[in-house]
Amino acid sequence: MQKITLRIIYSFFIRCFLKLIVGVKFDNANFLLNEKQFIIVANHNSHLDTMTLLASLPTSIIQKVKPVAAGDHFGKTKLKGKLTSFFVNALLIKRGRDKNNPENDPINKMLKELDNGYSLILFPEGTRGEPEKEQPLKKGIGILLSQRPKIKFIPAYMKGMGKAMPKGDNLILPFNSTLTYGKPTKIVSNDIEEIVKQIEQSFKELKQKTANTV
Amino acid sequence: MKEIFHLSFFENNDLLIVVLLIFGILTFASVLFYVIGKIKPNANLKELKARTKSWWFMASVFILATIVNTNISYIAIAFLSFVAFRELYSLLGFRDSDRRAIFWAFISIPIQYYLAYIGWYGAFIIFIPVVMFLILPLRLVLKGNTDGIVKSMSLLQWTLMLTVFGISHMAYLLSLPELEGFNSGGRGLLLFLVFLTEINDVMQFTWGKLLGKYKIIPKISPNKTWEGFIGGLISTTIVGYFLGFLTPLTDVQVLFVSFMIAFSGFVGDIVISSVKRDIGVKDMGNSIPGHGGVLDRIDSLAYTAPVFFHIVYYLAY
Repeated sequence: MQKITLRIIYSFFIRCFLKLIVGVKFDNANFLLNEKQFIIVANHNSHLDTMTLLASLPTSIIQKVKPVAAGDHFGKTKLKGKLTSFFVNALLIKRGRDKNNPENDPINKMLKELDNGYSLILFPEGTRGEPEKEQPLKKGIGILLSQRPKIKFIPAYMKGMGKAMPKGDNLILPFNSTLTYGKPTKIVSNDIEEIVKQIEQSFKELKQKTANTV
Repeated sequence: MKEIFHLSFFENNDLLIVVLLIFGILTFASVLFYVIGKIKPNANLKELKARTKSWWFMASVFILATIVNTNISYIAIAFLSFVAFRELYSLLGFRDSDRRAIFWAFISIPIQYYLAYIGWYGAFIIFIPVVMFLILPLRLVLKGNTDGIVKSMSLLQWTLMLTVFGISHMAYLLSLPELEGFNSGGRGLLLFLVFLTEINDVMQFTWGKLLGKYKIIPKISPNKTWEGFIGGLISTTIVGYFLGFLTPLTDVQVLFVSFMIAFSGFVGDIVISSVKRDIGVKDMGNSIPGHGGVLDRIDSLAYTAPVFFHIVYYLAY
């Protein structure tokens, strides 16, 4: 049921809306079909980001990809949490680590989903910052990748979404934006700091690429 | 349901001839590039081929949307305006506090096209130049951020004029009243305008490539030469003369209006070129392969549509 709903919503309605009305130019994401499991690492500027990433996925793998979202915001009430889990297929986590309660610890929760065969979408910048500005990456993604070094990460860079729907404004304004995918990459080192640096570098390259083409 | 799919243009020979002519030219171009590619495999035809392919697509969409059913054409042209407006404003660097005013500018697009649809000439002609001109600054002022507000006021109005007001004249052509003894009607006029504008672009490009030597405005557009410009003017005027049956005008009037389309098309082209120079982009977008964005294709139309419309409106209606 959820599978069909997700496919209809994202591959058709949201995709059409983003393409025709908002003006998002999607990168071809069919290369994802060749990857068994992956973590999409994206910059975060807008509520539209998750929609855009999900709508860009090939239809057949949508239900296998879980965006990771902050539980304090999207799981404020039980109903809101249920709705987010169903319609966005989201994995709700706490923002900080939880040493006392390993079951509730964000890293453990994400590892569990990875071990269940799901792929993840992560916004390592944390919350949406100033429109169209990058922020330093959080460490969580480093910890996650260092524990499952075989899983590749895929950088995704979105430009213009923060103009279409910035933080603190509920009005969606059409704005020509782009979503660009980088290459699936394996981590080169097991050190958390090094992994974060590697991802930051891949973001930088992707940003350069976007600036050259548009 | 039956009315929507009523292919009335098949009963109208004048329009049919031009549609066949368009597809004839495109077939000729495709075959030509294919043959040249076979004879000279080294020739760089990639861009020309991509352009021709896009022309096939655009011509088919235009003919489907415009000639087959007039009601669909209003929506199609409105959507064209919408995409062009979005494309241009996205590049102009508006402030975050302009969002509400930009939203109202977007709202004005369906209103402007509705006015064209019902054929309320007075309201159509003042809505953007007067009504929106007065409302948009108010919305900006209410937001309270005066830092750079003059720039936003001017940019927003100019963008609307170019991409919505200018282009919407294409839609109003379809709402013009019927004239006795003139069968092609608004669709004929629209076809004449679009065909001539695009032929002018192609002719200026071709003459420029063949003979181009003396540059007109090297600072703005290094590809624009006097030879291309004059060659385009002459060939467009001649083509227009032979398509005069699509308009209710006399021979002399057709020559004049074709000349004006060629001239204003050139102006629209270089105006958008200068905007691109200022912003520092080569193309407005990449939605059409080989052509850049939508605005790169309708830059001339934004100028030719109002010019053509008002000349015809004055002379024949």
